[in-house]
Amino acid sequence: MEAENGVNGTPVLAPTAESTNSNVYSNDHISESIKLDHQLMKVPYEYLKKSMRSNNRMVEKEVNAVVACVAEAVDKSMSKEEAMQHLTSLVSRLQGLKRKLDESNKNEQLQVQRSRARLDHLSSLKVGDKDLQAEWNNIKVDRILVDYMLRSSYYCTAMKLAESSNIKELADIDIFFDARKVIDALHSRDCSEALQWCSENKTKLKKNKSIFEFKLRLQEFIEMVRSEKMMDAIMYARKHLAPWGRTNMKELQQAMATLAFKSSTDCTSYKMLFDAKQWDNLIQQFKQEFYKFYGMALEPLLHIHLQAGLSALKTPFCYETGCTKEDPLSNETFRQLAEPLPYAKHIHSKLVCYITKELMNEDNPPLVLPNGYVYSRKALEDMAKKHNGKITCPRTGDTCTFSELSKAYIS
Amino acid sequence: MDLSAMQDAFDRVSKKQKVSYSKTQEIIDKILEQMEQTIEKFLDGRENADADHKILLSDLQGQLTQYGPLYQLGALQKELNLALSKYGKVMEKQFSVDIAKAYREMEFDSHLVNQAIALHFYRQGLFELGDSFVDETQEPNAASLKAPFYEMYQILEAMKSRKLELALEWARLHQSELDEKGSSLEFKLHQLQFVHVLLKSGCSAALQYARNFFGRFASQHMGDIQRTMGCLLWARKLESSPYADLLSSTHWEAVSLEFTRECCSLLGQAYESPLNVIILAGCQALPTLLKLATVMANKRSEWQALKQLPVEIELDKEFQFHSIFACPVSRDQSTAENPPMLMPCGHVLCKQSILKLAKGSTRLFKCPYCPLEATVAQCRQIYF
Repeated sequence: MEAENGVNGTPVLAPTAESTNSNVYSNDHISESIKLDHQLMKVPYEYLKKSMRSNNRMVEKEVNAVVACVAEAVDKSMSKEEAMQHLTSLVSRLQGLKRKLDESNKNEQLQVQRSRARLDHLSSLKVGDKDLQAEWNNIKVDRILVDYMLRSSYYCTAMKLAESSNIKELADIDIFFDARKVIDALHSRDCSEALQWCSENKTKLKKNKSIFEFKLRLQEFIEMVRSEKMMDAIMYARKHLAPWGRTNMKELQQAMATLAFKSSTDCTSYKMLFDAKQWDNLIQQFKQEFYKFYGMALEPLLHIHLQAGLSALKTPFCYETGCTKEDPLSNETFRQLAEPLPYAKHIHSKLVCYITKELMNEDNPPLVLPNGYVYSRKALEDMAKKHNGKITCPRTGDTCTFSELSKAYIS
Repeated sequence: MDLSAMQDAFDRVSKKQKVSYSKTQEIIDKILEQMEQTIEKFLDGRENADADHKILLSDLQGQLTQYGPLYQLGALQKELNLALSKYGKVMEKQFSVDIAKAYREMEFDSHLVNQAIALHFYRQGLFELGDSFVDETQEPNAASLKAPFYEMYQILEAMKSRKLELALEWARLHQSELDEKGSSLEFKLHQLQFVHVLLKSGCSAALQYARNFFGRFASQHMGDIQRTMGCLLWARKLESSPYADLLSSTHWEAVSLEFTRECCSLLGQAYESPLNVIILAGCQALPTLLKLATVMANKRSEWQALKQLPVEIELDKEFQFHSIFACPVSRDQSTAENPPMLMPCGHVLCKQSILKLAKGSTRLFKCPYCPLEATVAQCRQIYF
């Protein structure tokens, strides 16, 4: 856009595709913005996949068992009554299976419905309708906030927000509540929930080469050493730590050495293992495993967006005293957040009129006062109309007439 | 971005899920049926034959083997898995899979983030959410963010039910600040109140109101006052008068909006929630940053150390808060030492570019954008 300001037909830069067609541009923005919502679709997909797989396994196992039981009955010589009993029990077993199947079907339907609602939400964003876009953007902000709160264990407000902005189908509250059980247990120094989670999701964790289970087992071992149950600890290590020997021998050996050093040790590398912080680390590790498992972004969406937005908005002007309040970076909180981030780069001029705060471009070009100050044509025309052609510079108080203004070409 | 491909792939998953469920049910029913038949035959069977039930059992086994439920279940699962993995692939193709890739390794101070969120809720008048959040996060300084907005929303609530007393009181208290900014908010509020008095208590009361309050605005709003006084002529049928606009709800909304704007500004706060602005700017910036992250994938340490982004990010115009001049020749942003200079032909370059073109002499040089010539002395600094 700016390039076309170069007069006498010498545009400096070939105008990019975006700037020649603003419609294509905003269309692009929308589709690019939808592309960022991978997590929104991925989580219910992974959840659906998980419940379908476990459901399939359950059905397979039961049917297999029933068939085997029949075969067993044939091989054994049973009396008629025994055989009757045997068959009746199999019938009720199958009926139980049917009930379970119905239940898991309901759950799967729920996930299907959720994915559908999310797809519908994404496709509701259309080019052109400004109000709709604003509404969609507000929902996006709320979604990002709910994600942050769930990850930070602010469950209560997360639920309230999801409720009040009517985005329960777009938020993964139930999944985070599953994780909450594990996290709460780890907070009270109990690995059992976490271990159960590991065994439920064994295949996938193995595929991800996760060593989270090993870390849990290590911690349980350390707790036994702490309470001086040395023999139990050795038995435990034999059973649960030894299988990890092939991949994590070094850590395993280090842990085993605590048997000699005990929890009162001053030796730093062993003291560390007894530190209460290990439990916090486990919680962090669990969260990472959990995000990976469902294909979520490993950082909170809020942080990713804040970082990108702050960087894109950060200019040296934000830190000047006259910075407009509308600039988020005029706010001390956001200035501090932006502190370590890089400045945005600008290779095209973007001029905002000091008076109207509107963008100056070919429709509303910049005009220069004799004192060198630049304002938009619209603002100066308005001023001239109100004051009989007289222009007063709002920053210096200098006056001039409209005819004294000169044009400036900004490319 | 092709959402229809997603829709199609997902439809297939949803269909297969239904089919799989009903077929699985069928399979179980079939086994049940065979068993129940066998049981019935048992009951029909004569007392004696000990061998009979053995034959029946092995018949059942034969039937089951022939039916092959496990094989059928396996086939169903295969189809379902196929649809699922196809949908998964379409998803990976359509979306940016890992947006955390654009993230610099750093810790945001969680207190600052939480304060920003609390401010966001209070700014939007979501006090219940804000309180709940502050309570849950135990953020010590956040509660103080509430009070100023609380007052603002109380006034707005009152205005919604067309009660102006609180707003007028507020405007009176902030009279000098509003005057300094050249705001006409107080007058507009009095104008609304005048109409209200006129409708409720008749002409003489309205006249009295005008005498009491309009005098102060005579110099600034003479035209508006004259027009407002015209309402007196139409006192009983104001809705069908040329002054009906003063009654309309859009007018009320406009004044409420103006009040919000002035109030935020006097509070030293932005009109838009800053958190909103940043997140939405982030949405526009992320696609470019993700591309950059891909290009710089092997240079993570360089990426971490950047003082300025290496590419320009296009943001919509509502995110432009400052005038930025970039010299078209050197592509540098202007600074106090390297300010923008206006050439006599009207083209603007940075000072350093002009000095370079003039090669340090006082001779004429040609503008890079037009045939006109100029000397350094003829160029003058401009201020945006």
